[in-house]
Amino acid sequence: MLLKIENLQAEIDEKQILKGLNLEIKPGEVHAIMGPNGAGKSTLASVLAGRADYEVTGGKVDFLGEDLLDLAPEDRARKGIFLAFQYPVEIPGVSNKLFMQTAVNAAREEQGLSALDMFDFDEYAKDKIDLLEMRPDLLERSVNVGFSGGEKKRNDIFQMALLQPKLCILDETDSGLDIDALRLVANGVNAQRSADRSFIIVTHYQRLLDYIKPDFVHVLYDGRIVKSGGFELVHELEENGYDEIIKQSQQA
Amino acid sequence: MSKKITRKISPVAQKAVAHYIEQSNVLNNRFDRSDVVAGRLRAQAIFAEQAFPTQRDEDWQYTKLTDFVQNHFKVLNKTMVEHSDLHAYHPSFAVTRIVFVDGWFDEELSDDLSELSRGVTIESLRDVYDIKDGADHLFARESAINKEPFGVLNSMLLADGYYLQVDDHVALEQPIFILNVQTQQNHISNIRNHVVLGENAELTLVEKYVSLNTTEDFKACTNVLSEITVAKSASFKQIVIQQQGAGTYYFNNQFVYQAEQSHFNSFYAGLGSVLSRHQNHLSMDGEHIESNQSSACLGREKQVVDSRTDTLHSQVGGISQQLHKYVLDNSAVGVFNGMIYVDRQAQKTDGQMDNKNLLLSERAKMNSKPQLEIYADDVKCSHGSATGQINKDQIFYLQARGIPRAQAMEMITQAFLMEPAEMITNNQIQQWVMDILAKQLNAKKGLKDVEKVTE
Repeated sequence: MLLKIENLQAEIDEKQILKGLNLEIKPGEVHAIMGPNGAGKSTLASVLAGRADYEVTGGKVDFLGEDLLDLAPEDRARKGIFLAFQYPVEIPGVSNKLFMQTAVNAAREEQGLSALDMFDFDEYAKDKIDLLEMRPDLLERSVNVGFSGGEKKRNDIFQMALLQPKLCILDETDSGLDIDALRLVANGVNAQRSADRSFIIVTHYQRLLDYIKPDFVHVLYDGRIVKSGGFELVHELEENGYDEIIKQSQQA
Repeated sequence: MSKKITRKISPVAQKAVAHYIEQSNVLNNRFDRSDVVAGRLRAQAIFAEQAFPTQRDEDWQYTKLTDFVQNHFKVLNKTMVEHSDLHAYHPSFAVTRIVFVDGWFDEELSDDLSELSRGVTIESLRDVYDIKDGADHLFARESAINKEPFGVLNSMLLADGYYLQVDDHVALEQPIFILNVQTQQNHISNIRNHVVLGENAELTLVEKYVSLNTTEDFKACTNVLSEITVAKSASFKQIVIQQQGAGTYYFNNQFVYQAEQSHFNSFYAGLGSVLSRHQNHLSMDGEHIESNQSSACLGREKQVVDSRTDTLHSQVGGISQQLHKYVLDNSAVGVFNGMIYVDRQAQKTDGQMDNKNLLLSERAKMNSKPQLEIYADDVKCSHGSATGQINKDQIFYLQARGIPRAQAMEMITQAFLMEPAEMITNNQIQQWVMDILAKQLNAKKGLKDVEKVTE
C-alpha cells in the first residue's frame, strides 16, 4: 500500500470540511476524486500536502508505513508527495532554476544521492522542458511571474517531472485551461505514469479524465466519499450529474 | 528646508552643538588656510543658529537624533592600519583603490595615483587646497549644502576628502574603489568630496563604508558630503555600500548636477549602522538626461535606516527611475522619502519612483513618503509604496517542493532585497553587491524565527 487514509477529518476556520474520509491507493494506480463545489476535494489535496491553514481533527494517513500527518510539508515532498496547485504561486526574483535545482537536490539528498550542479541540472531538465513545450528561457525566469494560467499549470507538471514523486496530487489542474493547454498537461502527466507512481486527480469536470484515464473514480460529497467505481462512473456523472448520486447516498 | 529660526533645543543638543563648534575650531588651528577657515566659520554661524534638527522638523520626524547628540564625536588624528586589516573589504575584481582611514586619505594603503590613466585625477582634498582657487571650488555651492544640517556640519568640520576629475572624452574602464574604514572609538570621519566628469566622460565609482570593530559598543560617526558634476553626455555610475558597525552613525549627502544627455546611475546598499541616512539631491538641469537611483536597505534590531532622494527635472525629456526596497526585522525602522519635482518647462518628463518594503517582524516599522510635484502638463510620472509581510502561499509553494521553511523564507527575502541591484550593469560589480547583500541577510538567524506571515 502506498497511501492509506482512514476516517480523515479536517476543518478550516472552525468549519468542518472532511468528515471521515477513507481511501487506499496502491503503487501505479490513478484515482480520480470528483464532486461538486464545496465537497472537500481541494481540502483533501491540501491536507495531504500539509498546508497549515487546515487542521486535522481526526483520523490518520499512512504513507509508505509512516504517519504522513506528522511530517512537515517539505518532508512530505522529499518522501515523494507532490501537489500540483490549483493556483500555482508567483515568486518574483527567484528563478525557476534556483527553485528547482534546490528542490531536486533536496529530494536527492533524501535518497542519498549527490547534488546536481548547474550543468548536470540543465541537462536533466532539458527534455522535460521539451515535453511540456515550455519556453526555452524558462529556467532563467522568475517562478511563474508573467506566465499565463496554462503556463503556470504546465510549470507545475514540469516540476513534477523533475522531482519524480511517488504520489502526485493534481488539484483542479484542469481549471482555467484551454483545450491545447489541457492536452499538454495531460501528455505531461501520462508521460509520468508508471508501475510505481500513483496519482490522485482532483477535478470537477470529466474532460481531463478523457485524456488521463483513471483506474478508480470516487465521488466526494460533504466531506466523505459517497461512491466509488471504475472509469464508467465518469460517464454516469456526465449523464446524470452529481444530484442523482448525492440523492442515493443521502437515502443510504 | 531649513528656516533660520531660533528654535528650542534641549540642553543635551545644545551641548552637542557647542562640542562640534569646538571641534571646528580645533581644525581651524590645525589647517589654517584662511579661505578654508572662512568656510568653516560661515558654517559655524549657521550651525549655532540652527543646531540639530528635532522630530518637529518634518524631514527628521522618523529619524531621531536623540541618541546621536549624546555622543560627542571628535575629529581625531589618523591611526595606522595594516593592508591585511582591509583585505576582506576590497572587491575581487580589478579596481583602483583609494583608502581613507577615519576620514583621512591614506596614501600608503591606496594605489599609486600617479599611475592613473591620462585624463583622470584623484587628489586628497588637503592637496587640493594648494591648487589655485581650489578651496573656492569647495564652497561654490554652499547654499544648497546649507539646507542640510549634516551638510552644514560637514562644512564646519571640513578637512579631508577627495577631488576626482575625469577629463572630457575620457572613459575610465576600471572602477575606482573608495574605502572608508572607521578605526577609532568616538571619532567622526568627516569626508568632503568633489567629483567632476567632463563632457562625454565615463566613470564607475564604488564606495564602501566599514568599521574595523563591528560591535555595538564601538561608537563612531561618518558624515560624507559629495558634490558631483556630470557634464554633457557624460556617464557616471555609482555604487555605495554602507556596512558600518552596529554602534555607528552614517550620514551622506550627495549633490548631483547633471547636464544635458548625461547619465547618472546610483545604487545604495544601507546595511550597517544604528542610524543611517543617505540622501541624493539630484538636479537634472539639461535636456534628455537619464538617471536611476535605487537602493536596497536592511534593518535589524533597533537600526534606523533612512534613504531619500530629491530629484529635480528642470528641462525637457528627462527620464528618472527609482526602486527602493527595505527588509526590516526585529524593531528596525525604515524611512524612505522621495520627491520628484517637475518644473514647468520639463515637458515629456518620465519619472518613476517605487518603494517596496518587507517586514519580517511585527515590531518593525516603515515610514514611506513618495512625493510628486509637477508643474509641466505633458509628463509621465508615477510613484508608489507598498509594505507587507512574507506571503505564506509563496513559502508553502517552496515547501511543497521539498525546500525547508527557513530556507524558503531566505530565498524569498533575498530575492526581494536583490531586485534593486539588478540595475547595476557591470556583472562583476552586481555579483559582488549581491554576495554582500546575501551574506548580510543570512548573517543572523533572524529569518528562522519569523512566525508572522500574511496571506
